[in-house]
Amino acid sequence: MANLAIDSVKERTFDVIVIGSGASGGWAAKEFTEKGLKTLVLERGRPVEHVKDYTTTNMFPYEFEHRNEIPRKEQEENPIVNRCYAYHEDTRHFFVKDAEHPYVQEKPFDWIRGYQVGGKSLLWARQTQRWSDFDFEGPARDDFAVDWPIRYKDIAPWYSYVERFAGISGNRDGLAELPDGEFLPAFPLNAAEDHFKKALKEKYPNRHVISARCAHLSKPNQIHFDQGRVQCQNRTLCQRGCPFGGYFSSNASTLPWAQKTGNLTLRPFSVVHSIIYDEAKGKATGVKVIDTNTKEEIDFFAKIVFVNASALNTNLILLNSTSNRFRQGLGNDNGLMGKYVAFHNYSATISAEYDGLLEYKTDGRNPAGGGYIPRFRNVFKQETDFLRGYAAAFSARRKESRDSKGIGETLKDNLAKTELGPWQVGSHMMGETIPKVSNYVRLDKNQKDAWGIPQLSISVEYDDNDWKIREDYYEQMREMFDAAGFTNIKTQNTDRRPGLDIHEMGGVRMGHDPKTSLLNEWHQLHACKNVFVTDGACMTSTGTQNPTLTYMAFTARAADYAVSEMKKQNL
Amino acid sequence: MDKLIKRRTAIRHLLIIAGGAMVLPACYRNSGKASIQLQNLTISEDDENLLAALTETLIPETTTPGAKSLKLHLFVLKMVDDCYTTENQKLYMEGLAGFNDFFKKQSGTSFADATPAKREEVLKVIQEGKKKDDPVKKFYDITKSKTIQGYLNSKYVMTNIVKYELVPGRYNGYFPA
Repeated sequence: MANLAIDSVKERTFDVIVIGSGASGGWAAKEFTEKGLKTLVLERGRPVEHVKDYTTTNMFPYEFEHRNEIPRKEQEENPIVNRCYAYHEDTRHFFVKDAEHPYVQEKPFDWIRGYQVGGKSLLWARQTQRWSDFDFEGPARDDFAVDWPIRYKDIAPWYSYVERFAGISGNRDGLAELPDGEFLPAFPLNAAEDHFKKALKEKYPNRHVISARCAHLSKPNQIHFDQGRVQCQNRTLCQRGCPFGGYFSSNASTLPWAQKTGNLTLRPFSVVHSIIYDEAKGKATGVKVIDTNTKEEIDFFAKIVFVNASALNTNLILLNSTSNRFRQGLGNDNGLMGKYVAFHNYSATISAEYDGLLEYKTDGRNPAGGGYIPRFRNVFKQETDFLRGYAAAFSARRKESRDSKGIGETLKDNLAKTELGPWQVGSHMMGETIPKVSNYVRLDKNQKDAWGIPQLSISVEYDDNDWKIREDYYEQMREMFDAAGFTNIKTQNTDRRPGLDIHEMGGVRMGHDPKTSLLNEWHQLHACKNVFVTDGACMTSTGTQNPTLTYMAFTARAADYAVSEMKKQNL
Repeated sequence: MDKLIKRRTAIRHLLIIAGGAMVLPACYRNSGKASIQLQNLTISEDDENLLAALTETLIPETTTPGAKSLKLHLFVLKMVDDCYTTENQKLYMEGLAGFNDFFKKQSGTSFADATPAKREEVLKVIQEGKKKDDPVKKFYDITKSKTIQGYLNSKYVMTNIVKYELVPGRYNGYFPA
């Protein structure tokens, strides 16, 4: 019997435990298994095997009962997830429905989640831009949050490392504010997008429209074929899961790679209750899991724990990891855990028409989505009465319409014909928000989830800086559109609630000083060095870039460090 | 037995693809009831036949299939039943109930007995009607827009007329217009 127990502990002991199988967790899995470490990846949701479990991926529009629309009753029952742009009949099986996993909104917050193997890496918008020192130095220069303990030079080689493997398409644009990477060929701008690029160049030397950089295999290399992935086929049905592996996801890339090493144990249906802290050893010894099928509580053990549960769930797990030593959450000596949560301000869009270049249209589909305008406000110096700025997406397409006024054969004939209208151009804002102590998450005192774990309570809102940023976006974009000869310019307040950007960040921020931050420059909890956080929770500030690429680079860098520290017996 | 079940399932699947709605073969029908299961709308066999005739008038069979053979009337019902607000469903049902009376008043004959030309003439009157929240107009507008959606998104049209590409494999931003 005693032997049995010992065997059982042995079976539950690994070198590393990774919590979460999304973009960053998948990278941790790949790095550790490649380096020969026995790695347990815990995923709270169900398995999703590449290709096999992409159940809708090859369906034609007419095969969806409601032609991809979500029925009204389901919309009413799940208002939060239904506000997500990617939530439709073809993708809904990859999203958490509101009622399945409730949380407390102290202030309105749309928390979009993907609880399955691969997490939201199946669903992301695949936009990938590097940070620059204009971002890393932001808090120090503009006196908010705390200084980042790293700079661009620390992460640059790791950006290159993950870009080469993931496959990022883009042009080498030579912009200091948006460093170039290891690119596959870019998806080119179309005629009207190019026109806007040229028009801006003439009038605004520091404003650029570039081909959006994205995690698509425009021209795969051997390393991508080795992963079983082939060239992107321009379907733009990405969120169904891609049978070609045309875009990067954990499912298509890092997880099968890790699996091939023989060092990966992937355990779905495993909700993490907490991280186990051993006071005598002064470090974490493992993770307490609840099996969602059997409701059984199981402890797993490891020398290193990587927390990649998605930004807010990482906060939840750490806050719920209490012990005599850490009464308010693991590593939370300063009480700042869960605070300084921030996001991206997506509350504005602008649209217009362009009557030029009508000799062109587009053919096929662009998986990159079009153009990207890097932040141009307050970059080289402070120039406005608000802090930081915004990046913007920019895209154009010819409007196609059908004459549906007729009845009978006239109507039938007309429906077969499309009329090409002017170019329709549009942009949406991606504003940096300032992390504040008043924007926080915490454990709810009363409400528990189905496994007895406290629900997360979220209190995050916009502030005046965000509205000033929005006004500036309207003003500048309108002026730029005007300069490009666009007409019928319309700005729109999208009334987006925080969270719907799906770029929630912070709560376990990095910093130099254990008094004012939770993580050091290697993503280790200051107070519990064998626990690393490399997902969105670690973010000290938000930048204006889509954040996933940065999490992946952080993860590879931190994993490399963890292994070297382990070899030196420091962990 | 197994084979029979499989055959039935196969037929059902075929019909789902054809019309976007669960359809039972005609022999299963009890006279007087609609041929599809609906959650919110109560539709009689007569209603269904009227709707079939209306959608067929909108998109008639020519050398290519029309609304009836593409089962677009069932698609319309499915969408109204699942995707519209209770308020719009109510208006829709009122409009459906009032449609024939309105038609008779305008033309002196029922929709079923009217010539195609007469049908078109009256439908144009409804289409151009300005009265807000008029149930007959609402019923007509919804039926027409869903018929068009169902038509353009039908397998036939997407395969033969306005082709849908599942795998384009290309992008050109300077394609000659």
